Amino acid sequence: MRDINTDKENTWCSGCGNFGILNAFKKSVAMMVEAGISLDDIVMTCGIGCHGKIFDYLNMSGMYGLHGRALASAQGIKLANPDLKVICFGGDGDSLGEGLEHTLFAAKRNMDITLILHNNGTYGLTTGQFSPLSPRGYKGLSTPKGSIETPFRPIPLLLEAGATFIARSYSARLDHLAHTIQRAVNHKGFSIVEVLQPCVTYYNTYSLYNKMVKELEIVPYNRNLALQLATAEEAFYIGVFLEETKPVYHEELYGSHNPAMDRKASAERVI
Amino acid sequence: MDERVFTITVGGRAGEGVKKAAQVIAHIFCAAGWNVCQADDYQSLIRGGHNFSTVSTSQTPVYCAHQNHDLLICFDQRSIDKHLKRLKDGALLFYNSDEAQCEQGIPIPMNSLMKKHYHGASNVSLAALAIFAALAGMTQEQLQEQIVQQYRRDIEENTAYAMEIYGMVSQRCDYGLDWSVNKPFHFVSGIQAIILGASKAGLDFFYGYPMTPASSLLHYAALKQESLNLFAIHAESELAAINMALGSAMAGCRTAVGSSGGGFALMQEGFSAAGMVEAPLLCILSSRPGPATGASTYTAQEDLFFALHQGHGEFGRVVASPDSNNRALSLSAELLALAWELQIPTILLTEKHLSEGMADIGMNHPELPEAKELPGTAGASYQRYAATPNGVSPLVFPGHKCAPDTVVKWTTLEHLENGVRSDSAADIKAMKDKRGIKAKAIQEACKRYQTTAEYGEGELLVFAYGSTVLELREAQKYSQRPFKIIAPIYLEPFPHEKLEQYRGKEVVVVEHSQSGLFAQFLKIKLDVQVKHLINKYDGRAFDPIELAKQIEELQDA
Repeated sequence: MRDINTDKENTWCSGCGNFGILNAFKKSVAMMVEAGISLDDIVMTCGIGCHGKIFDYLNMSGMYGLHGRALASAQGIKLANPDLKVICFGGDGDSLGEGLEHTLFAAKRNMDITLILHNNGTYGLTTGQFSPLSPRGYKGLSTPKGSIETPFRPIPLLLEAGATFIARSYSARLDHLAHTIQRAVNHKGFSIVEVLQPCVTYYNTYSLYNKMVKELEIVPYNRNLALQLATAEEAFYIGVFLEETKPVYHEELYGSHNPAMDRKASAERVI
Repeated sequence: MDERVFTITVGGRAGEGVKKAAQVIAHIFCAAGWNVCQADDYQSLIRGGHNFSTVSTSQTPVYCAHQNHDLLICFDQRSIDKHLKRLKDGALLFYNSDEAQCEQGIPIPMNSLMKKHYHGASNVSLAALAIFAALAGMTQEQLQEQIVQQYRRDIEENTAYAMEIYGMVSQRCDYGLDWSVNKPFHFVSGIQAIILGASKAGLDFFYGYPMTPASSLLHYAALKQESLNLFAIHAESELAAINMALGSAMAGCRTAVGSSGGGFALMQEGFSAAGMVEAPLLCILSSRPGPATGASTYTAQEDLFFALHQGHGEFGRVVASPDSNNRALSLSAELLALAWELQIPTILLTEKHLSEGMADIGMNHPELPEAKELPGTAGASYQRYAATPNGVSPLVFPGHKCAPDTVVKWTTLEHLENGVRSDSAADIKAMKDKRGIKAKAIQEACKRYQTTAEYGEGELLVFAYGSTVLELREAQKYSQRPFKIIAPIYLEPFPHEKLEQYRGKEVVVVEHSQSGLFAQFLKIKLDVQVKHLINKYDGRAFDPIELAKQIEELQDA
């Protein structure tokens, strides 16, 4: 496999959870390539925020999209060429704030793509405002007295929306995260990996997660249990919460056709 | 040749098949080799209200529907009340006497007869067809054939109902239809022509979200997706639509998006992204009166500057507006081809009048361009934003079958040639210059196509664009004093090479905006002296005869 690093200077804060995600992703790519997937067929998109910088640190194809819109563009890529493995990186502000509608609809459609949700519970790049996943009472520049909103719970939200693979991992558990990403990408249908990601500058959750993160040993045998474990207060469970098979959007739309590869030239088109 | 224009209007409530009846009548004229325009006037509701559909037809060219009727068929009282004053001398009125009363005209008990002939759902629109068939001298067999072809369900009940009404009509109109002609025709709306043109140029995906009068882009693309080799995707919002379109373009598919003003406003952000990632993208803007929700189902030309300035930031684009349904077909293909040739977003600006107005675009279409990219060489040295003399970088698409060992990075942030983000001063300037020098290529490429049109001759110079040109061309037939219509089809880049001859001249401008946006635009571009502005901004098209009169009066002043 060719080198997938770039020479772009890394500007994440020292100790940022994004390093763990980048390293785990590189490891999962190597595993995918070893399993026979062409590196050229892995295409990424990302939104705007600290998470998005991952785009510049990976010498791989993709689109550095608009804030909140990366999952929409990811769907457009997949629909055009279903041979591609499309992986979207999104921050919690990006995917559950500005771009919430696209996240819910990608799940609703069971679009065969993967969302890696960088859950750092804050808006890092815009200096630490509260995010859709910040807890009540979170103090940031836009909520100096503490947030008065209740945060979303991404796993129940995505489960209800129709995602068919839902997992959680932790940026500091490199192997767990790498394997979870690989499983998510291999899943046929909409897969999401919520990554617990400390932000060392604005919302440092390392000691919390180090103490509270607990690995699930098996996939919960029903949705109720999955929801219970995903929202448990005694621990942050990591692992796969849901894995099920449902028809995927592009196959429902056009079967085994590939719009980008099977394009018809003008001369073959009759109007 | 008989130059008379006959105007036939069917009026009733929403859901009564008003448009359908008019369309069947329009098809009958088309098949007889006549020229036909159909315009629908409807409200933003599903049942009730007042809808009417007008067919103007002639053996000689006719460019838009007239508003005074030769034949008026009313399914309800409101239709009579609204249209009675617009009957021409010698015109015929038929009305549903179960619903309405009128001192003139011919009563037909349309509801009672429906009760007699239908067991389930009834269809009053058949009454209009039957009345027309009797007037036009169609045989029972010809009427039966239309019912079978055009109304596929409930054939027996429809036929029994129609035949009884047919038998009640003793009047005859000598249109002079030659039933032996049987001319092939392609009677389509402007929106349908846009989809057809784009399809021929290579369209693979249309992404949209419903908004009148642009919704039919989505409907028609969805309806025809098999025969036209494209997919229509109804996204969760306009934001989704345009960002999905960017993704599909990146993966190698020809894509288009479309909406009316409000939805197009939501697409601003994605349009700007198309400018930055240099995405080839056809955008269709079909205007209605605004601002905001405005008047959903009516026509306007108040989005001219909105289209010209769509998206924030500096980048090149093409904006053009078709002046006929035929032009909608060719322009749509041109704009998709230009988008791909230059890797820019292009805008087809139109309005409700043309979008939903129907006309025969004929069976022999002109040669249309194909949307093709400048192909790049795959491999490790490929750079998505490589500098080139004209600013257009070669394109390859991701995937091992398309471009092995190749990294293709599209980036909405300012970037280096390889697509990696940069905000160094030198890099920002270099990439802005790369996009900037495209302006020349855009200008040259557009010259390949017909950028302006002129119709008629006369001292008086009348400027218009879009479907207002159709209204003027029809008015031209009735004006006592001749005038010349000058219609820019391409608005950005402005076709100076064609229009400089009018610099500083005294002109008349006709448009559908309250403040005279097109007149302002022409003053900026050509420093013309706008002697008169004829502007209509009540959502309705001009009646061509009234427009002719307005122009004559200006001349006399």
